[in-house]
Amino acid sequence: MTSAAIRRPIDWTGIIFAVVLTLVIVLPLVVVGTWAFTNVWRFPSVIPQEFGLRFWNQTLARADVWSSITMSLTLAMTVTLLSALICLPAAYAFARLDFPGRNILFFSFLAGHAFPKFGLLVAIAGIFLQLNLIGTFWGVVLIQLVGTLLFMIWIPVAAFQSVDRRMEEAARDVGASPMRVFWSITLPQAGPTIAAAVLLSFVGTFYETEGAWLIGAPQVRTLPVLMISFINNQPVIQYGAVLSVLLWVPSFIALLFARRVVNSGSFARGFGG
Amino acid sequence: MTTIDASHPVLAAPERRRPIGLLLVAIPVLLVIWLIIWPIISAVIQTVWIKTPDGGGAVSLETYRFFFSDSYSLSNLSITLWTTGVCAVLLLVVCLPIALYLRFSDSRVAAYVQGLAIFPMFVPSIILSFAFIRVLGPNGTVDLVLNAVGLPKIRSPYLTPWGPVIGLVWDNIPLTVLILLSGLGNVSNQAIEAARDVGAGRFALLWHIILPRISNSILVAISFAVLGIFSAFTLPYVLGPAAPEMMGPFMQRTFRELFEPQTAITQAVITFGFCILFGLFYVRSVARNQAP
Repeated sequence: MTSAAIRRPIDWTGIIFAVVLTLVIVLPLVVVGTWAFTNVWRFPSVIPQEFGLRFWNQTLARADVWSSITMSLTLAMTVTLLSALICLPAAYAFARLDFPGRNILFFSFLAGHAFPKFGLLVAIAGIFLQLNLIGTFWGVVLIQLVGTLLFMIWIPVAAFQSVDRRMEEAARDVGASPMRVFWSITLPQAGPTIAAAVLLSFVGTFYETEGAWLIGAPQVRTLPVLMISFINNQPVIQYGAVLSVLLWVPSFIALLFARRVVNSGSFARGFGG
Repeated sequence: MTTIDASHPVLAAPERRRPIGLLLVAIPVLLVIWLIIWPIISAVIQTVWIKTPDGGGAVSLETYRFFFSDSYSLSNLSITLWTTGVCAVLLLVVCLPIALYLRFSDSRVAAYVQGLAIFPMFVPSIILSFAFIRVLGPNGTVDLVLNAVGLPKIRSPYLTPWGPVIGLVWDNIPLTVLILLSGLGNVSNQAIEAARDVGAGRFALLWHIILPRISNSILVAISFAVLGIFSAFTLPYVLGPAAPEMMGPFMQRTFRELFEPQTAITQAVITFGFCILFGLFYVRSVARNQAP
């Protein structure tokens, strides 16, 4: 940081960045939000002729919207639960136990990141084709599960590593059982970070479009997949706008709770920065 | 909250040597082998090992020969290379100034700018596509505003090669800024002040002091962007032209609509080939940051 001046000049560079980024990043989303609460908006009026909630009723009355909301939530919950179930014990093992091949296995989770993602998905789809998993719920679960592995192992490993070991030893010295130590000392300290990892993997799965489209379509239709068909084939703009607002809810929750994780320098370092 | 943090050696000082650890990590490791490593090996084998009519097999590069002699495949490949290149350059041009500003400013505006630069990470690309069409598409907001002040409509980038470019750049801003910013953290204030003391101007400072120190981060940011953009699917599929199409939509259509998995897998292996250097470099950088 530059040394603080006593009389701070006006930060023109910052103001220019702020204005341009607001126009480019916030404005498009404001337009979508406006469309969602618009009953009538005909060219060439700059603002809508009539605001209202009419299209919320119509969108929420559609069966395909509800079935894809249910599908998306079921998928994301199944994948997150399975991922936590298999990854958290593994993360604990990587953080605390020594076993043959530990380092190489730990870095093996990077394998998927050396390849362009959609190409990899096509290669996986080739395997799924032989196993008759194309177009099935569990096929989509598997492909999305693989996408969560790196996150759900590396972040919890860091969390378990940062637990204060002296407290664990002290508890053990006064006679606490290993389970008791884990439950009362380790988990409360590592918990918040692990919860952030779980939340991020839920949100990531909820928005995962490419695997769901390639493996699941047309039988498994998630909310983002429905949104693609709304963009391509739906003449009523408001349906897409209302769906966008609905679709944004999980991301908004992630924004509230996971922002600190994302803003910390260590997050960028996890991406190789 | 802490996350993956290089200051904690990730794999340091284990408590005791216990093979039971292998059991605990078995399922995720087997998943990686079954669903990442095996598909890649199998894709390569499948595309070079062709079954002959007499029931045997032979090594043949026929599927690749077809790809590289088919003009439609080649134009899809070249539009993909063009999009990836243009996006990489644009991302640097946009994100480097933002990252430099964020590194050297401590004003209150900087916090707002940082929040905005990170924000696209919390906007799923499918919502971005919809917003893009409403703003830059035919009769979108830009047209409305231009019309209101009496100017002609724009030639919309929607359904042209520039559509995916704009969308992909928007989508990749947050991580590029974060990676560059993390690299700029390694540029010490002393180095900057020392250079200033001997009279270095802004550009000399950038060229001789800052850029050499963050060249690795720039390469990481570009590798990450290239890996994501080269086989991007959603944004090119929704915003791009129907033909030529980028490799992502092309592979999807070949696999699901034309039902030619063999051809689609060949295309996938070709995307691996074009990205392999970026992929290896990227993975090496991430691994080095996490190493004990």
